[in-house]
Amino acid sequence: MEAATKPAEKTMQVRVKIWRYDSQTGDRALKEYELEAPEWVTLLDVLDLIKDQQDGTLAYRKSCRMMICGSCGMRMDGAAVLACKTRMYDIVQAGHVPVISAMGNLPIVKDLVVDMDPFWDKFKAMKPYLQPGYEEPTEGKEYLVSQERMNVIHKEALCINCGACVSECNAMESDPAFLGPQALAKGMRFVGDARDANTVERLEDYSGEHGIWECTRCYFCNERCPKGVDPRDAIAKLGAEAMKQGVDTDMGAKHARWFVKSAETTGWLRETELVPKTQGVISAISQMKFAMGLAVKGKVPPPIPPHVADRVDESRALRKLVKEQGRDGYAGIVQGERALARLEHEASGAHGGMGSLESADVTPGEEPTAGKAD
Amino acid sequence: MDAQHDVLVVGAGCAGMRAAIEAFDAGADVAMISKIHPTRSHSGAAEGGINAALGNASEDDPETHAFDTVKGSDYLGDQDAIEILCREAPGDVYQLENWGAVFSRTEDGRIAQRPFGAAGAPRTAYAADITGHVLVQVLYEQVVKRDILTYEEWFAWKLVVDDGRCQGVICWDLLNGGLKVVGAKTVILATGGAGRLYTGTTNAYSCTGDGMALALRAGVALKDMEMMQFHPTTLAPTGVLITEGCRGEGAYLLNSEGERFLKDYAPNAMELASRDVISRAEQTEIDQGRGIEGNVLLDLRHLGAEKILERLHGTRELSMVFMGIDPIHEPIPVRPGAHYHMGGVDTDAWGQTSLTGLYAAGEVACVSVHGANRLGGNALMETITFGKRSGRHAADWALANTTVTVPEGVVTDAERELKALLDRRDGERPWKIRDELAATMHENFGVFRREDQMQRQGQIVDGLRERYERVVVEDKGDVFNSDLTQALELGFLLELAEAMVVCGIARKESRGAHARPHDFPERDDENFLKHTLVTSVDGRPRLDWKPVTMTKWEPKERTY
Ligand SMILES: Cc1cc2nc3c(=O)[nH]c(=O)nc-3n(C[C@H](O)[C@H](O)[C@H](O)COP(=O)(O)OP(=O)(O)OC[C@H]3O[C@@H](n4cnc5c(N)ncnc54)[C@H](O)[C@@H]3O)c2cc1C
Ligand code: SF4
Ligand code: SF4
Ligand code: FES
Repeated sequence: MEAATKPAEKTMQVRVKIWRYDSQTGDRALKEYELEAPEWVTLLDVLDLIKDQQDGTLAYRKSCRMMICGSCGMRMDGAAVLACKTRMYDIVQAGHVPVISAMGNLPIVKDLVVDMDPFWDKFKAMKPYLQPGYEEPTEGKEYLVSQERMNVIHKEALCINCGACVSECNAMESDPAFLGPQALAKGMRFVGDARDANTVERLEDYSGEHGIWECTRCYFCNERCPKGVDPRDAIAKLGAEAMKQGVDTDMGAKHARWFVKSAETTGWLRETELVPKTQGVISAISQMKFAMGLAVKGKVPPPIPPHVADRVDESRALRKLVKEQGRDGYAGIVQGERALARLEHEASGAHGGMGSLESADVTPGEEPTAGKAD
Repeated sequence: MDAQHDVLVVGAGCAGMRAAIEAFDAGADVAMISKIHPTRSHSGAAEGGINAALGNASEDDPETHAFDTVKGSDYLGDQDAIEILCREAPGDVYQLENWGAVFSRTEDGRIAQRPFGAAGAPRTAYAADITGHVLVQVLYEQVVKRDILTYEEWFAWKLVVDDGRCQGVICWDLLNGGLKVVGAKTVILATGGAGRLYTGTTNAYSCTGDGMALALRAGVALKDMEMMQFHPTTLAPTGVLITEGCRGEGAYLLNSEGERFLKDYAPNAMELASRDVISRAEQTEIDQGRGIEGNVLLDLRHLGAEKILERLHGTRELSMVFMGIDPIHEPIPVRPGAHYHMGGVDTDAWGQTSLTGLYAAGEVACVSVHGANRLGGNALMETITFGKRSGRHAADWALANTTVTVPEGVVTDAERELKALLDRRDGERPWKIRDELAATMHENFGVFRREDQMQRQGQIVDGLRERYERVVVEDKGDVFNSDLTQALELGFLLELAEAMVVCGIARKESRGAHARPHDFPERDDENFLKHTLVTSVDGRPRLDWKPVTMTKWEPKERTY
């Protein structure tokens, strides 16, 4: 907490509930705290005030308090946030009493502190360092790389390793060994780096068991990431690049290939055919119930008969265009995923197909503003 | 002893990681200790960039870089060290790029460089507005590649000194509890700055000057401790940095009368004047009653929503999260905030201190390349170049020497001291002392220094140190006891504050960050072209002086 040196600072009554965990006894308890705090406080400031003035044993991590060090990941009302990025004023005004707890998918050490070792183990498993190739830097200086080429990994490079994405990851809940959104985003940071020569080896590594194809595409990681890394997009880029490079023996890769084939031939994503194509008939039957369930909800067309969409020509043209523009592989993916997302959200028609492709050009790295100082 | 290494690096920010990598590559068995995970180090918060005369944006050379740095330092920088920094900087930056640093690029694919204050050429290499973050990441990647052992979330509390040599570190294991002793032939301090001495600071909670205090307690001298740089645009009340880019884009600074007050201080440069000039102007306005609750206003409104959204997106986010103010519609209250400590552990250009086996690099050290005033972009460069140099020297020394002894008594003493602290149940919890220290330092040892205020601050710190003797740690547990480590950090800060005040009072002139407009408004080269040195004698600071090393630049008046 910063000392309140100014007189007449406006304050408010803040209430929060915190899931405490005593690692020595194993006791868990939800405790409520009430305190007076200046109106400008963030959740991190509130925790500081509680620790100072009410309970010195409260444990949480912090350092920069400016959204850059990644220390203060935790959950508020069940969703991962950075405590230092969470302003309390509106929450208090709404009369809400948020519940604060440790991040998910990682073992709790004490109160809001989780054991980050599994997180860093996965990070390290990515071989997260540049593996340069035959190309030498010019004249013993820097590698020559265009800004445009650098922009490919701009978003991945923003990651602060806070773990918010991992906390919310669906796939990791069912398979704790899943490499997960952060590690895979880090992987993309190297696969997309023009200076790295080990693209294929990396893609093989990342495509194995617990790798890219395990992601369930729930998009929670994109939604919760406080830095706009969009890890799910990074995973999609890895998947597309794996297929482009012929690293596609994994079941997930087959699944994805069929996806493309299906869209090309019929204009539909024939979800019902995907299962037999990639898993074989027996296991397909056991999943039939699930597929029918989806059909009832109108998510996939009913299994029989497969039909061809009215605008199959458009779908084929789209695919052709993507190829022609060299947008297969990771380069096509931001748009691809974005376009899909948009198709999901907007009713078919007006914005589908070509429109999305137009508007979803490669996300550029923000042009750095001149003269920005420290 | 729980472990032993050739080289032990305390701190894992840019300086610490760079040192560890170099020591590893020199063949030493090296380990790092860090109280927070390496990537959480405050180096990651640096936005602007790192200075090296690459000449990618215009003609440039190390000589010009060196002159700018000497002049910027108000001639208090050691010119031999500055020449080394500027000469080695280009190679060191290329090295970072070759390791994979994601620098921004010029049209022809080279590392991009931008102009920075008081520099003769666009010399600041950058990665958008996340340069520090990018450097921390690339260094950590290289640490992982080499599989360099890191004792993560271990808090270095004491240096082991035996036989006139530094031979290890005693730490508190934050995650599991318990004191751990790591022996080492050489120890490199790389613990960063001490901005937490002040209420408003751009520094992280972890910047508590631990390494400076460790050195002081081990009898090593601290240099130029009065030199704390203030940044003119930090958010009130937290001190979060608002980038100079705002003023670069044309933002105004206004007083309570809505005037662009810089017309009275820097009528030509106005908002683009140098940091120290603007900080002083702001403080004068505030002191003379033309502030708004201790702030002035940074007004972006006339830039228009479009420009703000496009160019100053990060600033808008900070302002909205921390102040609830949207700069499109309202001006942002800002004030000068403690930003960078030019002073620190006295070292030579290899990072060696006066204690054999002990080195220091990065913001914790004072080589000195910044003298009385640091130029933007030179601090990151210092962490890399001098991190590298100290890593190299420490490894060579360690490989040429064999023994490490940690006397039993040192450990039992530490255990006893810790137990006494944890057993204490009657007394004051640390936070009030911490807040009072920070608030009074801001008031009495801030942008302007007055003799009477500095004297008073000395007494205040004395009183706080007395109260600290009876401080109580409420958490008695072993697991993640940050209540304990925060109490220990406060002990460090109090000793540093005392050292700073002693130096500040002794320097009876105005130079760089040390501004005494009321009694000694001018620079006095005749009497004070020298470093302050402070050592601890029986727990009290003793003041000495040390000459400035000059190679080829004679002191001149510093005008821009
Ligand atoms: C907001 C901001 C912006 C900046 N922008 C720029 C810029 O654009 N250009 C520039 O050149 N400079 C800039 N600076 C200054 C520069 O970033 C710092 O001086 C530099 O990064 C310090 O690096 P360091 O390695 O010395 O310390 P840090 O990065 O602070 O690392 C300190 C390390 O020591 C460890 N540590 C500390 N105490 C202990 C202990 N007791 N036990 C164990 N470990 C410990 C920490 O865990 C951490 O790993 C900026 C500073 C700030 C605050
Ligand atoms: S989209 Fe994939 S990686 Fe992201 S949270 Fe969901 S399952 Fe995990
Ligand atoms: S991808 Fe985003 S949420 Fe995940 S660790 Fe990185 S910054 Fe945090
Ligand atoms: S404290 Fe650093 S990200 Fe929140």
